[in-house]
Amino acid sequence: MASNRLEKRDYIRTSLRAYYLQNGFNYGNYQGLGYANMLFPALRKLYRDDDDRLQEALKENIEFFNTNLHFVPFITSLHLVMLENRTPAKEIRSIKMALMGPLAGIGDSLAQFCLAPLFATIGASLAQEGMILGPVLFFLAMNGILLAAKVLTGLWGYKLGTNIIASLSEKMEMISGIASMIGVTVISGLAVNFVKIATPVRYVASMPDNQQKVVAIQDMVDAIAPNLLPVLFTGLIFYLIKVKKWTTYRLVVLTIVLGIVLSVLHLIA
Amino acid sequence: MTISLVQCVLIGLWSGFCLAGMLLGIYTNRCLIMSAGVGLILGDLPTGLAMGAVGELAFMGFGVSQGGSVPPNPMGPGIVGTIIAITMKDAGIDVGSALALSFPFAVAFQFVITATYTFATTLTATAYKALDRKDFKTFRIAANATIWVFAAVGFLIGFGGAFSSDGLQKLISLIPGWLSTGLGVAGKMLPAIGFAMILNVMAKKELIPFVLLGYIAIAYLKLPVMGVAVLGTAAALMVFFHAGRGTGNSVEEVEVEFEDGI
Repeated sequence: MASNRLEKRDYIRTSLRAYYLQNGFNYGNYQGLGYANMLFPALRKLYRDDDDRLQEALKENIEFFNTNLHFVPFITSLHLVMLENRTPAKEIRSIKMALMGPLAGIGDSLAQFCLAPLFATIGASLAQEGMILGPVLFFLAMNGILLAAKVLTGLWGYKLGTNIIASLSEKMEMISGIASMIGVTVISGLAVNFVKIATPVRYVASMPDNQQKVVAIQDMVDAIAPNLLPVLFTGLIFYLIKVKKWTTYRLVVLTIVLGIVLSVLHLIA
Repeated sequence: MTISLVQCVLIGLWSGFCLAGMLLGIYTNRCLIMSAGVGLILGDLPTGLAMGAVGELAFMGFGVSQGGSVPPNPMGPGIVGTIIAITMKDAGIDVGSALALSFPFAVAFQFVITATYTFATTLTATAYKALDRKDFKTFRIAANATIWVFAAVGFLIGFGGAFSSDGLQKLISLIPGWLSTGLGVAGKMLPAIGFAMILNVMAKKELIPFVLLGYIAIAYLKLPVMGVAVLGTAAALMVFFHAGRGTGNSVEEVEVEFEDGI
């Protein structure tokens, strides 16, 4: 019986199987198949000679599941700890389902809304200057951090049990708070750099001494504030998203139509 | 320029890998990554990188779209857009125009992916049936099937896009000059959508100072991007240490909870 116990490396192995969580993704049960598949080797070890119980455990876990790929090891580790302690299946299920939502929230806000935009912006800016380092840095930074997230949350779940979720989410909130601040700084800075709108409009002004002078509107705009047109346009789009709830498709169509019309009228170039 | 058959296959394999990476969560289904790969394969890395930068920023916001709306897929600019940008560089198509031209593809690809997810729903039934007869091998095949379908779909899109690039070029060369200039102008405006969407998700009222800080750092001080990141980190740490008093207790609480927990 003792040989059927899971060891630390089984927990780490299960945590790394988080990469497979979406390998069976579908609109029926989302990550359900993947979740059962993640647990498969550990369950096989737990129920080494008992195909009936393995079958039962897998069937129980195919049900609908959807959370963040990088934080799911926390749930699977808890799940396995509870299985080993012979926690009733009903209780495990309720904890699994209770953690699914909050972890999706924490994970998405950290990975998708903070880290990815931050490194994508930095990477794009390096790529813009012709440096292959841009995409390489983006890929390595994202995957390095997210690999660490998988192993760490998996180990946390293994060591600390159910009560940790409150302090975990507190810590995550702190980390994602800091990441948000850095991200917003970089992103809003580069927005004005990457969105390129300039006006070629000029007019001839008569000076008091009867001399004529060509005045470029762009110079006047620059004198008010640098990159003012990109700022205003990004602000407009922001307003349309936030207040008017425009969909992306409408925004894309608006931008393309606006770009073509204003370019044909020679108002922007 | 024409694309050789070997290059078509390589672009197909690269697209398949990148699209499958979306399910693995390794962030390969991003314009920045895909364009650089296509650039390498076609021997024009600079254009690939430039296309990746513009496309990444325009599509950055789609990664965070909420409310069940189907976002366009970055394979549009990342694969097809980059092929257009590289093969038609001499015909006056810049990365901005290529980005605007690749949008319809991005939308079409997303529908293909939605269809794949829907089709994959049958996998659940397959898995249950396999478990009923204790056929664990078939269960594992079913649990990994979606990703192989993704790899195949990605391959077909990449290969097809590269293989039909001649026809694509002919089609695009029919576009009148004023229109392709306009598309180029629009393409340079498109990143605004990505930025605005991401700021919509991230920016709360408390973060307005950081928006201004970023603007000042780039527009007035013209700092390089790493400099802006360091500046943002400094400001974030200042805020954190200022507001972070009293967090020292929580670590001890964790230890206590651990004792009770197991």
